[in-house]
Formats: sequence, structure tokens, C-alpha cells
Amino acid sequence: MKTTLVRLILLLGLLPVLGITGAFAAEAKNAPGFDDPILRDLQTEMARSKTQLRLENMSAPYFIDYRVVDIDDWEADAALGGLRSETHSRIRFLLVRVRLGDYKLDSSSAHGEGAIELVPLDNDEHAFRFQVWSATDKAYKQAVEALTDKQARLKQLTIDHPVDDFAHTEAVQSLRPLVELKVEREPWLKMLRDASALYTKDPKVQLVDAALSFKAVNRYYLNSEGTLVRDGEQVYRLTINANTQAEDGMRLERSAAFTANSLQSLPKAAEFEDRAATLLATLKQLREAPVADEDYHGPVLLSADSAATVFSVLIGENLLGNKPELGQNARVRGQFASSYKTRVLPEFLTVVDDPSLDSLQGTALLGHYEVDDEGVGAQRVSLVEKGMLVNYLLGRQPIRDFPSSNGHGRSSLPLSWPAPAVGNLVVNSSDALAPGELKKKLIAICKDRGLEYGYYAETMGASQAPRLLYRVWAQDGHEELVRGALFGDLDQRSMRSNIVAAGNDAYVDNEVQPVPHSVVAPSILFDDLEVKRQTSNKDKLPEYPAPETARK
Amino acid sequence: MAKELQRAKGELGKLTPAPYFISYTVYDEQVSFALGMNGSLITSTTGRKRMGDVIMRVGAPALDNAHGENRPSAISTETLPFDDDADAIAHALWRLTFSEYRKASTAFLNVQTKFQVKAKEDDLSADFSKETAQSHTDYKEVALAPEQKEMETFVRRFSAAFAKYPYIYSSGVMVTGEKSLQRFVSSEGGRVVTPDTMVRVVIQAETRAEDGMELIRVETLQADSMNKFPAAAEIDAKVEQMAKDLKALREAPVAEPYDGPALLSGRASGVFFHEVLGHRLEGQRQRGDEEGQTFTKKLNQAVLPEFLSVTDDPTLRTLNGTRLAGWYEYDDEGVPAARVEVIKDGILRNFLMSRMPIAGFDHSNGHGRSQAGFMPVGRQGNLIVSSTHTVKDSELRQKLLDEVKKQGKPYGLYFEDIQGGFTLTQRSAPQAWEVLPVMVWRLYADGRPDELVRGVNIVGTPLAAMNRILVTGDTASVFNGVCGAESGSVAVSAAAPAILFSEIEVQKRAHSNERLPILPPPGFEHEAKTSAQVGGQQ
Repeated sequence: MKTTLVRLILLLGLLPVLGITGAFAAEAKNAPGFDDPILRDLQTEMARSKTQLRLENMSAPYFIDYRVVDIDDWEADAALGGLRSETHSRIRFLLVRVRLGDYKLDSSSAHGEGAIELVPLDNDEHAFRFQVWSATDKAYKQAVEALTDKQARLKQLTIDHPVDDFAHTEAVQSLRPLVELKVEREPWLKMLRDASALYTKDPKVQLVDAALSFKAVNRYYLNSEGTLVRDGEQVYRLTINANTQAEDGMRLERSAAFTANSLQSLPKAAEFEDRAATLLATLKQLREAPVADEDYHGPVLLSADSAATVFSVLIGENLLGNKPELGQNARVRGQFASSYKTRVLPEFLTVVDDPSLDSLQGTALLGHYEVDDEGVGAQRVSLVEKGMLVNYLLGRQPIRDFPSSNGHGRSSLPLSWPAPAVGNLVVNSSDALAPGELKKKLIAICKDRGLEYGYYAETMGASQAPRLLYRVWAQDGHEELVRGALFGDLDQRSMRSNIVAAGNDAYVDNEVQPVPHSVVAPSILFDDLEVKRQTSNKDKLPEYPAPETARK
Repeated sequence: MAKELQRAKGELGKLTPAPYFISYTVYDEQVSFALGMNGSLITSTTGRKRMGDVIMRVGAPALDNAHGENRPSAISTETLPFDDDADAIAHALWRLTFSEYRKASTAFLNVQTKFQVKAKEDDLSADFSKETAQSHTDYKEVALAPEQKEMETFVRRFSAAFAKYPYIYSSGVMVTGEKSLQRFVSSEGGRVVTPDTMVRVVIQAETRAEDGMELIRVETLQADSMNKFPAAAEIDAKVEQMAKDLKALREAPVAEPYDGPALLSGRASGVFFHEVLGHRLEGQRQRGDEEGQTFTKKLNQAVLPEFLSVTDDPTLRTLNGTRLAGWYEYDDEGVPAARVEVIKDGILRNFLMSRMPIAGFDHSNGHGRSQAGFMPVGRQGNLIVSSTHTVKDSELRQKLLDEVKKQGKPYGLYFEDIQGGFTLTQRSAPQAWEVLPVMVWRLYADGRPDELVRGVNIVGTPLAAMNRILVTGDTASVFNGVCGAESGSVAVSAAAPAILFSEIEVQKRAHSNERLPILPPPGFEHEAKTSAQVGGQQ
């Protein structure tokens, strides 16, 4: 986000309780956000719902929130030098949550609940408020049923550690400027075409595609406790994928992605094309590379890039404070359910999540934000200290021993209820080595154990398969690319027990799914990991060669 | 396309088993969409894409990989680059072709094995008919694609009226514009290029009755271009009528189970014939174990009263001045569209045929239709019901009342409109129609005023009802729509006169019991607060 943005955070008590609509209109004109038609209309409906929404013999809501997500989205994709799809869409969603009961026990469930409507793009008061009214009515009726249902189920269950259903928090008011999607289409489309046209350089490449997804997202949030937030974010993403088959039929794939929060931070056309050319060159090397040996147990060095992927999947996803299903007594869902105050990483590693960081060593961090999607100010959270798990990432859903949100409740695009999510997850080592030292250490372990070579993973693909994996020969340190390998036991146990050193480097992995976030990690060295050969089926090679191309 | 097809034919022809037929169809599609509610634009999107289908038949026409349940093995589909870059398209088709060959050749081996080990099938027809390859490459644009701004203005303009009515809980106007160009080449030498443009409007409004029953009115419009739609005043009137209908429906009594005379309007009859009769006349439904085969053995026998005839004629562009949605010049297998007289004077004479033969019918009659990515099968185009035993439309009401008196019933039913459960929340166009009556009136024998009822469901065997037709009206009404089936969504029309049945059985429809909205909608805060009174018109 730009630093020039005006930021305004006022801590307020609840808005004055307003009895009737007429009176509200008069006072609301002075309320913050009233010059924004969306916030104004949300406030008008909020006032009505807060004071009047109630079925006879049923309780009134104790909490209501409105979230409007306005997405301006341009996506295009080119394959083999030609544009394959291009869509532009603009849409505004409204998500309404209504909670009945109280903070201790309410109508909510682990799945999130509420109603969703589309709302107008035109700032038309009647049409807009109509959708808010309709969604609120549905959400209230659902909540009435959900509360009754939950009370009935609770009677059948024994709860060992009662935890509140909803965290108290201070009201926040934060209004930031709106963002717009302003792009000149043609140069970007040309860039996709040109990069994907590189397939003509290598007749054995079967597909090259390049895609872009540019989004400007404005979010509006209002709740019945007086929180009012408006924020805009831009997410620009470029991707390239290429695939081929080796002579033995093994499918080989490479991809690269660039993610940024400003157009200026994306690569220029020449840089993008270079990256595509590099991908194709590595695909060719992979095609010619030997297949990994069937079984290997020994040291493995992960580059900072690979380590970021591994930390994200094995550690990051398990730091989320998701409350288990009703009646289950675990602290959280996931692998770290019973790991609180135990060691999950070696003592020299620490992990924090700090959404307040907007860049690191000149790279913008995508996980930067000020206020989360539940209107709670983002907090820096120290998660793993000296290898020990001490905290979780939390939204307003409390878990055992953690009654408050730490500002990590976020909702993914286009539609989801807020849930704990990673912001900027940063892994640091108290005993960091230069990457060259790590390689020396890898070789030393090999020699110690009489191994001819160790492994170095430069990039990771999906599901434990390294994309670029090298044998590092103990004898002279030279690196040799191999293909078709898979890590056998890269899991929470090996993260806890087998990491012996970490680098002083840091790779920033900016990702957009499920929410924009960053994972920053150093290279790491495992003293012992299993590397095995992929057993997936090999397809036949094409029955006949690719057509010749006119352009060379 | 043709060049890459030749190369594929040559290269794959050297293999065993070899394909004996390959076709490429490339669809260029430009799709725009706009949705408005209460006078305001909700969303507006536009996109272009190009789809490529490869159809491959391995073996021989008598028995190939597309036999029986293996039919999907004959097609592979993918998005292609839409820039006119010959290299890129050839490369993409190459990829698609060799992957389709793998699918088709594996399926063919399965088909061969099964054919040997399983009992003999009833219908021993070949799997693929022989047809003359067509060449039709000059084409004329049907119309320009609608302008996005124009669509946005339209949905704002016509969705606004619903905002006046507090009892309408959900409403919207949706416009979908599609401009397409379909290019077909086959290894038999066929080359057919067909353009199409279609703009479709769906206007929808919903309310609920006091007891929670959901009530919905839908109007659809279809034309080649925006300027072919009826005048604004006419659409306004339709919208107002929908609002009026909904008000009347929510106040109407719930229908009681009933068995007796009924009159279907032309529009309702068209839908009824499309669903009940039309789908059963599609050729492929006459072979295969899973099909009901209602009509398979009825060839040359009476299936309707002798005063009724049914044709399907995709070559007709308009009927009584109304554009027919099921118009096309060539079907999706490159066969020229043809008028088919399916039922003549009540006697079943023919079926709607694709290139999948059935016993007694070796050839296609130009009804092999599909959406991109699906294997074509026999589908309806413009289904037209005609009658020689008619009375003036204005006299049908009296005819119904006469029949009611004759049977000693207190009232007869008039089905003014029948439609399916459309919803605007779905992105794609509505996929299917149920025979779901919406506007149904009781016409009393004793001269009481007509009474609208709600929650009617038609039961019993619809085919049995076909033989209880007494007489028809004298003018056909057209229903244009999109029909979904195993070969995807295709545009169709159904036209029929109003029809009087001696007996139709109805029962109450199950419905939700959700409460009415608790608060009045915005803009009506100061009106009566109890939900029972919300509904007053301004």
C-alpha cells in the first residue's frame, strides 16, 4: 500500500443508540463515512436492524456486521502465442452476519453463517438498501434456527474447556481511500502473447501459457459495535506455465509467478520474457536430466524459496487458531492441536506474523494490512519462540487460553466468512549461516556418512515434489540436475527434529490464496530426509510430432 | 484447421486401430452479461473465448468407439487461442488430437470386447451414418453483438419498476448477449461455417404468500439484436403485469387436488409438448437399455388424436412474425437442417435424427445438435404443433365450461402460464424446464368470477393426457427458450395452439414455510408494520 494514504483510526465507544429512523438520519449526517454512499446506506440499514429486527418471542440480535466487497477484475490468458481468454468483470458482494445470544454462547457455528447478496454497482440508495434489508432478514432467520439447534446439541455434549463463541474487541474507525483498476490493456496482452510464443523455440515443448489477473478490491465493513472500516487493495499477478515430456514419457512442468500490489512492481516485458525463456531452458535441462535414484536417506538443503513453500504448508497452516467442531475438546484444528508450549521447530528458529511490515529488503509484502476483515487492528504475533509454539493466529473466534483476536481474521475473495489467516509470516534464525556455508555443511554430512552426494532443492512444486532438485556431489561439490523425485518424510516431525542449520538469506513468497499473504524464510538444511522416485504413470509421447511453425 | 486435420488423418491413419472419421469444430464466442435489480446495475461482464472440439471415431461406422455408453470417448474439447495465429491453433489442435486419439482408441478396444461378450443388442443399427459432406463457407453476419452500455441501460431501465412494490422480495432483469461463429471441418471433406447472434432477456420477480409459499413470475425475450425487442411500453406493461400477477397470486387460495377438464394456453401447450412429447421423439432415445423408449415400437401407430400433427422445422426463422429461437441452417454435425414431419394426423412417422442411426432410420435429418464440448445427439429445433380440429380462441372458454358441466364438475382449470424454476443467482442460462404451472385459474360452471389459484402441480402420466385432447384453438403461440440435455444447452422454440383436455390431474405442491420479511423494505418504513399488511401498492 502506498505510504501517502491518509489513515485515520479513532477509537470510539458504541454509536449513540438511535430509536427511530428519522432521528437517525439527522444525527448520522455527522457520522464518519457518511459522505461515502455505501457506508451511509449500510449505516441506515444497520440502525433499522439494530433497533427493530426481531421476531415475536425470539431474542433480538446482539451483533450484526455488514461487509461489502467490490471487485474490479481483469483476467487474460495466452497460450502458444495467442490470446485464449479475456474477461473483465465488476461485481459487489454483500455479506451479512447476524448473531443471536451473547458473546459466551451464540448462534454461530464453525462454518460461518449469514447471508450473501449481490449489491448494485450504481450508488443507488434504494436498490442498495433493498439488498441489505433482504440479506439481513435471511441472516436473522437463519440465526434463530441455528441458535435453537446449537442449544439442543449442547445439551447432548460435555464440554471440558468452555470457550466463548465471540471475542470482545474495541470499536475501530478507519477510512482509507478507494482504489481503482487503471490499466492499459494492449501492452500487457502483448507481453502474454510474446512470452507464450516461446514454444516455437523448442519443438518438444507441448504447451506454454501466460496469464494475468489484475484486481482492484475495495472493502467496506460496518458492525453493530460501532466499527467502521473502508480499505482498498490492489493485487496484480502474472504467471507462466510450461510443460514437456522426457523421452521416457515423464511429464515435466515448470511455472513462475509474479505477485505485486502495484503495477510498477511487476516485471517489464523483457524481464517477463527472459523468465519464460529461463523456464523453457530448465525444462530442456530437466528433459535431459537423469531420473532420481530409487531411494535416498541423507542431508537435504532447501533454498530459501523452497523453504518458504515448506514453512507455509507445514507450519503456517497449522498456526491458524480455528476452533474445532462443537463438542471436540482440542484447542485448534490441524497438526498443532496439542502442541501449545511444546517444541515444533529447532531452538534456533523463531516465527512471527507481522502484518504491519509493508516491505522487506525492498520487496513489497503482500500480507501487509492495518485492520483485518473483522474490523480488528492487525497485531504482530510472536508464534514460535526458540522453537516453542507460544501463540496462534486469531480472529474473533476465541480458542482455549486465547480469548481475544490478534487481528488475523480475514476473508478470501470473492466470498468467504472471516477466518484466521497468515499475514506476513517471517521465519528467522538466531544462528544464521551464509548459503555457501550451508552447502559446505551438506557436503560435510555426506562425507561423514559415506554418501556420494546430498540433495539441494531450488524450487518446490505441489505436494512434496521438488521442481528443480540437484545432486550435490561430495567429492567436488558440483551440482547435477535430476528429475522425478519426491520427498518421503517432509512433515511436522522432520521440521521439529531434522533441521540442523538455517541461512542468513531470506526469500519473500508473496501469495494470493486464500488471502494475500507473504511467507519469508531462510534456506534450511536437514540432516536426514527421504528422497524417493515418483511412481506416477508415465504417459506415452505424442503419436506424431507437433506441427511445424512458420515463425522460428 | 483443415491442414492440421489432414496431417492428423495421415499420421493417425498409420496406427492400429486407426480413426476413420475426425472432425474439428472451432467456436468463437463473445458473451456479454448484465444484471439489474431495482433500477440499478448489479453486474456487467464481457468476455471472448474460442473453444475447439475434436471428434474422433475409431473402428468402422458399423461399430466404433462412440458405441453406447462410450459415446463421450469420441470428443475432446479445449480452449484455443482466439488470435488468428495459424501456428498456435495448429499446435493446440495437435495436442487435442493426440490426446483424443488415446481416449478413442482405448474406448474402441473396450467396445469390441464388450460387443463380443455381451448379449446381442435389440437395435443392431450402425454407430455412425453415412452423409454427404457439405461445403458452406460464405456466411452472412446475423447481427452485431449488443453493446455493453446498451445492455446496462436496458437492465437498469426495466428492473426499476419492481422497486415500487414492497411485496416483491427479489427481482431482476438479466440480459445475455452471445455472438458466435462456428467452423466445422471433417475428414470426409465437410466444411461448414455458421454465424449466430442471440440476445436473451430474463425478467424475474418473486414474492411469498403468507404461508411461506414462494411465488415467482418469469418473462423471457429473445431476439437477434437489442433493437428487435418489443417497444419499451410493451415491456413496461409486461413488468407491471408480472407485479400484478404476483400480488394476485399471494392473495390467491391454494389449489385443491383436482381431476377434470383443463385448458392450456398456447404458450403453456408449447412447453408441455416440448417436455412431454418432444424429448421422447429424439432418435437416440429409441436405442440403448437406459432409455424409456416410449415411442420406439409405436412407429406408424396413433400417438395423438388424428387432428394433431407435429413437425420440427429448424429452417423456419419466424412464425406469425415471432422470431424462432430454434432456427439454424446446419446442425452441429455439419448436416443441413431439415423440416421433419414427426407426427402426421396423430400417427408417429419419424424421429429427430443425428448421425446416430436407429432401426429403420439410417440417416440424419439435420437434428444433431450440441453445445461446444458435447457430443451431438438428436434434439429439437422449432417444434410446431398444428391442428385441424379447431375453434376460435375466443370460444375455448365456453368449450371448457361446457365440458365441466358435462362431467358435473364445479369448475375447470385454465393454465395461462407454465414455466420452470428459473433463478437469477445462477450464472449460466437456465438449464431445464419442469412442467411447473404458475398462473392457473378456476373457471366456474355457475358463472362465478374466475379465481386464480396457486401451488398447482400436474400429476399422472402426461402421455395419457395427450389422448384426452378434445379440441384446440386456432392460433399458435411461440415459446422460445434454452433446453438442456445430454448434449448441453441449445436454443429451441415450441409453438402450439391452446388445447382443451377432457382430464388433467393436479395436486398441491410442496412449498417452504419461511416467514415473510420482518421489517418492511427500505422506502416503506413508515407504512403499516405488521407483515400481513405489507403488500399495499403505492
